[in-house]
Amino acid sequence: MAASTRARPVGRLFGLGALYVVLATYAAAVVLPMVWLFYTSLKNNEEIFASAWRLPHVPHWENFVSAWVRAGIGRYFLNSVLVTTISVALILLVSAMAAYALTRFRFRGNRVIFYAFLAGLMVPSQLALVPLFFLVNGMGLLDTYAGLILVYIAFSLPFTVFVLSGFFRTLPHELAEAALIDGCTQIQAFWRVMLPLAKPGLVTAAIFNFLGIWNEYLFALVMISSERLRTLPLGLANLLMVTHYENDWGALFAGLVMVMIPTLAVYCLLQGQITKGITVGALKG
Amino acid sequence: MKRDARRLVVLFLLPACVVYAVLFVYPVISSLLLSLYDWDGFTQQRHFVGLGNFTRLLGDDPIFWTALKHNAYLLSVPTAIILAGALFFAAALTSGIRGARFFRITYFFPNVMSMVAITLLWSFIYNPSFGLLNAVIRPFQHGKSATVWLDPNHIMPSLVAPIVWCALGFYLVLFLAGMENIPSSFYDAAKVDGANAWQQFRSITMPLMWDVITVAVVFLVIGGLRIFDLIYVMALGYPNEQSQVISTYLYEQAFTNAHMGYGIAIAVVLFVLVFAATAIAMRLMRREQVEY
Repeated sequence: MAASTRARPVGRLFGLGALYVVLATYAAAVVLPMVWLFYTSLKNNEEIFASAWRLPHVPHWENFVSAWVRAGIGRYFLNSVLVTTISVALILLVSAMAAYALTRFRFRGNRVIFYAFLAGLMVPSQLALVPLFFLVNGMGLLDTYAGLILVYIAFSLPFTVFVLSGFFRTLPHELAEAALIDGCTQIQAFWRVMLPLAKPGLVTAAIFNFLGIWNEYLFALVMISSERLRTLPLGLANLLMVTHYENDWGALFAGLVMVMIPTLAVYCLLQGQITKGITVGALKG
Repeated sequence: MKRDARRLVVLFLLPACVVYAVLFVYPVISSLLLSLYDWDGFTQQRHFVGLGNFTRLLGDDPIFWTALKHNAYLLSVPTAIILAGALFFAAALTSGIRGARFFRITYFFPNVMSMVAITLLWSFIYNPSFGLLNAVIRPFQHGKSATVWLDPNHIMPSLVAPIVWCALGFYLVLFLAGMENIPSSFYDAAKVDGANAWQQFRSITMPLMWDVITVAVVFLVIGGLRIFDLIYVMALGYPNEQSQVISTYLYEQAFTNAHMGYGIAIAVVLFVLVFAATAIAMRLMRREQVEY
């Protein structure tokens, strides 16, 4: 297949050399800002304003200490880890259970419930924002992780139930039946046999939910007001606003670098999974 | 259905259905109802105003129309650039050149960054005193004073770059998958018939990719209507008339000015626009299915 795709025409239309120039230029547009960001994060304020190109005289690692401790990036980072991990675990559990019940059994209302979840894909989250604020406030969960996580679960359900239903539908029912004959209860058949088989779907759903919640801003902005509870996007945005008054740009650059390193690491590990997930999600869905 | 199966269905559906009903369906329906009230959110007094919020919004609120114009700009210009760019790169990377994997992985990376981080990075790039962009173009400017990229005259075009930068890789991956599904025998046959590269792209690639492109257009249009983080953070929390979009205006009216009913009405309009835009895009893009 790889050999036969070689005959595709774009290369010849533009000339191979010109094509590489275009490709490399866009690659530079992606990479150059990040390289610049990394070395600027090691400059002090004076050097930052002196020249955008020049490298730092001595690396100012104290920018990173300042961002991690004084600006609170360390705390925001741990907050985000906590909120995202709990949210994704609960989303997967709740959605997998629902998707399994909806695809494995026939009962009255099955279709209605499935399409009710599906319809949620069409609704922009902004539509629920204001009543949600008062609802969570009424439950006494405003400015708590419990409230934020519940909201994240609710708004991840349409996508996750949809993706996992697709996977459960492809699994042969006979496997669960066989487990039942071997003496498993229904729940054991789900937990020990069917759920492990749906692992590719769970991985896809986990990655997309993880990215979505790790990066989520609007709900967190509305639900969280305490400084110590801020998630990373909230903390980072706040740091930008504060820096315009306090003028410690080195720390802000360093803060952004610290936010990007784990993203970059996870991306290098999982990029194959991520891009496969997009293909499966968008082309089959 | 056996009793234990019935028990499982109830047990398994209950958590999802309860959370969904309470925290998704209920607030959405509340929104549709509350948009008919004048309400500050903090007192119990709600005045029923019927469609009053909507008539004010659509008939008597220039800021809303400005915001809508900005959304129209931010969903059309980046969409055109992203579609053209991603299609071109996808065609280039499936032509069997070396390094295709490297380019794909590099181009996609910004897509996993948070919009807030991307906004920060681009606010540095655009910064008039130490920004990367002015440093790059200085040699070509012949002593003209540095451009302030985020001032009222430049901000809209300046917002296009981060959107393209962040999204292009996603659509590249999407299109790559679509193109790899096209059997290469189609191109071989076209070559025998003497079709040039452009003709092959137009007559083979485009028709067979049409469904994927439709999905992309719908995603991009919805994204352009819902855009919030980039505008809000770039404006340091206070977007003015030069950059206000529907979502930031909604946030401002509801949570800054305590005009809850009015804010909700804006959200309802946003929902209708998302729905209508999707329907229109699907309709305009509808073509006969090509089976292969």
